[in-house]
Amino acid sequence: MTKQLAFSVDIAKCTGCKACQIACKDKNNLPIGVRWRRVFQYEGGEWIKQDGQMIPGNVYAYTVSAACMHCENPICMDVCPAAAISKRADGIVLIDQDKCIGCRYCSWACPYGAPQFNEDLGVMTKCNMCVDLVDKGERPACVESCPYRAMDFGPLDELRQKHGIFAAPAPLPDSNLTRPSVVYRPNRVTKSSGDTSGKLKNLEEL
Amino acid sequence: MTENNFLTKTLTDTVLTRRSFLKWSAAVGGSAALAGGLNFGLKTVENAVAAGEEQVSTIGCYHNCGGRCILGAVVKDGTVVRLVPDPTPAKDEDLRTNPRAIPCLRGRSKIHHTYAPERLKYPLKRVGKRGEGKFERISWDEALDTIASEMKRIKEKYSNEAFYFMYASGENWKGPDGRDPMRRLMRLFGGYTDYYGSYSAAAYGAALPFITAGSGNSAEDVLNSKLIVLFGDNAVVNNAGGDNAGYWYMKAKENGTKFIVVDPILTDTAMALEAEWVPIIPGTDVALIAAMSHVMVKEDLYDKEFMATHATGFDEDTLPEGAPRNSSWMAYIMGHGPDKVEKTPAWAAAITGIPADRIASLAREIASVKPCALFQAWGWQRRAYGEQPVRALPILAAMSGNFGISGGGPGIRPSGMAFKMSGMPVPNNPVPAVISVFTWPDFITRGKEMTSGARDKIKGVDKLSSSMKFMWNQAGNTVINQHSDINLTTKILEDDTLLEFLVTFEVMMTPTAKFADILLPGTTGFEADNIITGEGHGIKGNHAWALFNHKIIEPMYECKEALWIAEQLADRLGLGDEFREGHMSREDWMQDMVKSAQESYPDFPSLEEFKKVGIYKVSSNKSTIAFADFRADPVANPLRTPTGKIEIYSPSLAAYNEPEEIPAIPKYIPEWEGLSDPLHDKYPLMMETTHFVARSHSTFDNVDYLREAHHQSIWINTLDAKKRGIKNGDMVKVYNDRGEVHLPAFVTHRIRPSVTNMYQGAWYMLNANGVDTRGCGNMLTKYHPTPLAKGNPQHTNLVQVEKL
Amino acid sequence: MNIREWALLIFSILGQLAAGMLLVLLIVRAGVVRKVGVEKAAQLTNPPLYMVLLIMILALLASLFHLGKLAHVIGAVPNLGTSWLSREVVAAVAFVVVLAVYALLLWRKIGSEGLQSIIGWITALIGLFLVYCTGVVYLLPAQPAWNTLATPVTFFVTALLLGVLGAATALMLNYAKLQKKDAALQEFVKNTLQWIAVAAIILLGIEFLVLPIYLAYLSTQGTAALQTLNLLVGSYGATLALRLLLVFAGAGVLAAYLYLNASIAGQEKSLATLAYSAFALVLISEILGRFLFYATHFRIGV
Repeated sequence: MTKQLAFSVDIAKCTGCKACQIACKDKNNLPIGVRWRRVFQYEGGEWIKQDGQMIPGNVYAYTVSAACMHCENPICMDVCPAAAISKRADGIVLIDQDKCIGCRYCSWACPYGAPQFNEDLGVMTKCNMCVDLVDKGERPACVESCPYRAMDFGPLDELRQKHGIFAAPAPLPDSNLTRPSVVYRPNRVTKSSGDTSGKLKNLEEL
Repeated sequence: MTENNFLTKTLTDTVLTRRSFLKWSAAVGGSAALAGGLNFGLKTVENAVAAGEEQVSTIGCYHNCGGRCILGAVVKDGTVVRLVPDPTPAKDEDLRTNPRAIPCLRGRSKIHHTYAPERLKYPLKRVGKRGEGKFERISWDEALDTIASEMKRIKEKYSNEAFYFMYASGENWKGPDGRDPMRRLMRLFGGYTDYYGSYSAAAYGAALPFITAGSGNSAEDVLNSKLIVLFGDNAVVNNAGGDNAGYWYMKAKENGTKFIVVDPILTDTAMALEAEWVPIIPGTDVALIAAMSHVMVKEDLYDKEFMATHATGFDEDTLPEGAPRNSSWMAYIMGHGPDKVEKTPAWAAAITGIPADRIASLAREIASVKPCALFQAWGWQRRAYGEQPVRALPILAAMSGNFGISGGGPGIRPSGMAFKMSGMPVPNNPVPAVISVFTWPDFITRGKEMTSGARDKIKGVDKLSSSMKFMWNQAGNTVINQHSDINLTTKILEDDTLLEFLVTFEVMMTPTAKFADILLPGTTGFEADNIITGEGHGIKGNHAWALFNHKIIEPMYECKEALWIAEQLADRLGLGDEFREGHMSREDWMQDMVKSAQESYPDFPSLEEFKKVGIYKVSSNKSTIAFADFRADPVANPLRTPTGKIEIYSPSLAAYNEPEEIPAIPKYIPEWEGLSDPLHDKYPLMMETTHFVARSHSTFDNVDYLREAHHQSIWINTLDAKKRGIKNGDMVKVYNDRGEVHLPAFVTHRIRPSVTNMYQGAWYMLNANGVDTRGCGNMLTKYHPTPLAKGNPQHTNLVQVEKL
Repeated sequence: MNIREWALLIFSILGQLAAGMLLVLLIVRAGVVRKVGVEKAAQLTNPPLYMVLLIMILALLASLFHLGKLAHVIGAVPNLGTSWLSREVVAAVAFVVVLAVYALLLWRKIGSEGLQSIIGWITALIGLFLVYCTGVVYLLPAQPAWNTLATPVTFFVTALLLGVLGAATALMLNYAKLQKKDAALQEFVKNTLQWIAVAAIILLGIEFLVLPIYLAYLSTQGTAALQTLNLLVGSYGATLALRLLLVFAGAGVLAAYLYLNASIAGQEKSLATLAYSAFALVLISEILGRFLFYATHFRIGV
């Protein structure tokens, strides 16, 4: 592996608007029901009584934008029965839609929900890191789209130097499972994977 | 004001030259074609590049969200392949001199918006009852002939005063399309009753001249603030994209500024800025401000000298001539006023729901952290007595020593810069009558009774001579969906002996479109060349631009542009020559616009060059510090208020002689349908109708990608939901005496108890029982104009919520 | 559950039924050869063995319905290095092919009994390996409801339980059609049914042992597993209860009756009825159990 390409998201800049989700859908012409990039709303804390008034106590909320993690250890690639998933030298994990038989096993295996079944095509699809743009030296559509410039893109080790090594904000899973190629910059209230103080709030939108 | 234009650098750095077009749009293999269902058979207008090559044309996003963002449409082999954001390279961005206007999620969905199945295709004529939504297809000739003949008939029978140009904001072109062509025509035809105010800022616009007038510091000044307190300013949502209002706040946060947000909701702004949340009960803001003033006075934390020299009516000594004793702000807060109530934090705590200690510490923080900027937006003024908090916040800004300084501000909104380009010339309106923007239903039902007196506050004339007989509604869903009390408005509109003729010119079959007598299908931004400017309201900070919006596909179906329709009607009304004034094509109008820009910006390119480069930006490296000169010398540089000072006590307001609802000083007035209203026993929850990030008001509600990303719901506090057995995602019924809505509940800590929020702009959809099943708050809002502005109080409502 | 998941359910149940039946029938056949004779062995067990082939063909056909792009199967390259699913597919194909060869040998009477027996046992081993594969494909770290030893254990138990009762059913169906039923064969059949009944009861015991261990395991594995647990004891509780009731009735009560009746002379008809009923109840129960398996899993993460 020469250099693993990766996404980073600064949770302290993210407003949860989902421009990234829409930009990705627009670029890839995704049908309704397939969302290669999704934004998770996480919320916790309690309202408590103080001096006769209800106050928000330690109420907190933040949003996490996530697509395919192009993992260093991609379990989707390991389990695919048709060898339709491959990992490039630059780390981008791709589903070959001409080989996929649509068995959806990869979607059972991926803890990030990245591979998604496209009813129209009959095959699994997922974020391909805008490989066509990357090959031209451009950045993925989602990264370009963020009105708060919260997303970054580049070699994983460079992103880690710039933004730290945190890769598992709640509600994302433990990063030891598949070693996602991603960096999240937490804000002050960001919780780690496995947190039970909060809840994922917008399940119906995912 | 001098400007230091970095034009040359700006021009060469941001210009999208032919070379960079091609470089940026090198051939892409395997690019997806438009998805099934959107294959329209597009034909591009310019095929300047070879087959297989991509061409990128600038297009603007032109809706009413506070932004005027820049998009590139990537066209390949006659198909719109995808959109790209502002082509200024990210590495070249300097937020002060060369900002990017990155579109929000709505702008990114424009392809799906343009090709939505709700697009109007042909002119339609109503059959059946108005509002039923039953139409038959007619030709353009028949449609235009009908409109022209109705115009003549109504003018003849009722006079021009019977015409009304309806408030709308769906499109905001500088020209040649937009609403100006029809304004021009109708004024040439003799005019129409106009409106004052807006649904966005009625109370704000009416009240501000009675305290400071003017606007705030320019947005980049927030980088100088140590503390920023936002009063209901949800910039991250309400100015979501390239307006950059929210982005400036984010830069300030990165710079170390602390944020506090006073809002019943932990908005996305509060969340993104990691602000301290002060979860106030809505409509009680003046109580909070009064109590904070009280703390500042009691603890001697305020700028005594400034209040004495720069304000009228702060205390008894600075009251103007003729003002009664104990009518000053000081008397009010210290309990010497007519109500004899001291506005202590304990008093305010019971009303605002904020603990007294918190009120006191907030006051101290505002008074002592310097500089501190206080910002209000337009949420807290869209309420029963919205005029009051507008006038109250500048007092706090002044008392705390932040009025007229960098990093501070006068307690109003951050500003931007104008772009000096004219649109289509619109002559003066021969009809002088002007009603409030919100009271047009009265104009329909009792127009002849409306006067300039207390009840209606019409302007321009003492009384109207006619009721509304003709409505021109263009790019607007305010006729029914966005106006209060849908069931009431429906009854008014259904009677076509009152309003006799309603024309709607639209792109989508909205709820309002269903009420048209004649429905005209319009073109979108993809389908015609236009020019749009980003300025002030459009982009914040000391920069502005003009953008050439390229026509990239032929008009769909039989859709037509606004300019064409106005010309056609002009011809039928015998005003063709007067309307055109020698402009035989849209290019002619655009040439004029370009010329007007060149008067202020000599480097502004020719129209041909402007088409090629797509964007022209200007910026100033000097910030605007509002009222800095006034602060330095209030006599030499008076405010544009009647007394020239900060008018805390306003003799003009006193002159209205409506002291209960239009007090001379700002006052906390308990709201009808507030928590102290006896109606609260029946409907115990307050309901707001704030803006939704997935819509621009009601524009974009029908876009599939956006509906998938953000689900319409009613936000309800976890405690209130628990009492009702409601879990997150449950379907609930929301109702009061005015209507009923069924939609999912979003149970969250992010809204305070006793308050709910139904995000505005959803297109209502009635089931067989007259219940809305989409989630439109205006089924429940009240048609009760505010006292001074006669504006819309759409956030003041009481409802009950039950699990379905 | 949509059609694709039902396809998987049918494939896994029928595939396990086939593998289990084959194993049992081979044991029975070996017994008949020793105790009665080769010809009788063929008469008694050949048609049931053909049935196993039919069941396995149906299983594979069903599995095709869970694919999104059937056309891509042609020319698909298996990923045997890392994918248990790849191995399962190869095992399933190998199983049906070798089973077909075995059936052909039996039908056309090709080769000696010794050769046929070897081919048969190789097929059975492939079948057992197939059952193993069907279990371990579900050992995905992201699926706590499946990622437990209980999964392959349960699959093996299902294979054997359906196998013994399925074999009993097939044998009795075939036995009813036989012209000559001499005493030795009759005795052997009754004996076999007794062994089958005992086996069924033991396997039932294992199922009832595994379940509470599994539920306890779920309670310790985090949010997703707890969601599974809540469904199993909550909205799917009735389904689980029914599944347990049916398997108890079939592999417990009826199996006991089968055992008892097999020791009494002249009860062939009732034996057959008991065998068929037990199999039917257990088949339904195992289908319900597999349904719960597919309907209550939750992936961790997002």
